[in-house]
Order: sequence, then C-alpha cells, then structure tokens
Amino acid sequence: MSDEARVGIVLVSHSAALAEGTAEVAGQIGGGTVVIAPAGGTDDGGIGTSIARVRRALQRAGTSAGVVILPDLGSSVLTVRALLAEESFAGPVAMADAPFVEGAVAATVAAAAGGDVKAVLQAAEEARHARKL
Amino acid sequence: MPGSYEAAITLPGDLHARPAGSLAVAAAKFASAVELAVGASTADAKSVLAVMGLGATRGQRITVRAAGPDAAEAVTAMIGILAEATPVSG
Repeated sequence: MSDEARVGIVLVSHSAALAEGTAEVAGQIGGGTVVIAPAGGTDDGGIGTSIARVRRALQRAGTSAGVVILPDLGSSVLTVRALLAEESFAGPVAMADAPFVEGAVAATVAAAAGGDVKAVLQAAEEARHARKL
Repeated sequence: MPGSYEAAITLPGDLHARPAGSLAVAAAKFASAVELAVGASTADAKSVLAVMGLGATRGQRITVRAAGPDAAEAVTAMIGILAEATPVSG
C-alpha cells in the first residue's frame, strides 16, 4: 500500500471508442485517482490495434508503481507482446487475462485502493469469476 | 478494537456502480475482512464486482459485517458511504 504513485492501467482494444468508453466507466467507478490510458484502434483510427498507441498509453499510465495492461481480445495480446519484446519500461508491467470491462473496473478499484501491480493484476483476473446475475 | 462488528442500514438509493466503487476502495484500505449482506446474498466489500452483483436497491436493508483488527472502523466507514453515496445514480 502506498499513498504515492498508484499503479496505472492501459486498455488495449481493437476500437478506440471501446477503449475510451471503458476507461471512462472505470475512471468514474474508481473515483478518478488512477491514470487509465486507452489504446484503441489502428494508427489511422480504424478497427485494429497499434503498437504506437499502446506505447504512448504505457508512457502515459506507467508510474514507478507500475502498470497493468488489459487486452480486449487475443490479438491485442500479440500487439502488447510485440511491444514489450522490443522495449523496456520503467516500473513493473503486467498483462491481465481478464474480461475487458469487468477487469478494467476491478483493476482500477484495486489501484485506487493503493494495491501494487500484483494486487491489481489479481483483482482484474478474479473478474473472470464475477457473476452479474 | 479487534473483533467482529456489524451494523445495518436501509439503502436510501440503489447501489449503483459509483457507490460500489467507493465502498470497495474504502474497504480495501482496512485489514479486516468486510462483508455486505442483503437478504440471502453476501459479497466481499473489497470486490467492486461482487458488490455490484448484489443488485441492492433502495429500501433494502443491507448489513455490514467486519472481522479483524480494524473491524469497528471498517463498519463505520461502510455505513457512512452507504448512507451518503447511494442516492447518486450511476
């Protein structure tokens, strides 16, 4: 637990609108104390993923406490892995195997509460078991 | 004081996403285990998704139970958030 830097969140989606909307929802629920950087769509704004957009989001959300990345679908994972293979970032970086919206919300709340990368990652991945009904 | 404490409140509004987030963020800061109960359903207050999954609505009685070294403070904090945050829609 730290009162200083909070873990940041990066949302990697095939759609800019999906990434931005999810960031907006998670930010509201988390109380606005966590940096949530959306990285959606291709470089020209189409449907797909962009290494450059993910890189910028990581730079924006990454803190000394680290960053947790949530990919929307499997092929977003490839983009994230390609970036992490060629570059290193200050602070720990982890990718969550989690449902996109629920994982983003759970991760944001864990980060807002001062959790470290491990705790934020765990919160996101536990979202796989959450029932809505 | 360590131990087990509980208190209940009648929800002044529906337990929507934002108050659920406030509850979970606050609950996570306590060392004690914190549980919310509505009817037969219970949720770990530290899990925002579980809190939303309760589907608790205005007028329902919600019980906060905490066990651990800061249980009394945790219950007080949860009741305070439930009293203030739930009228906010969203």
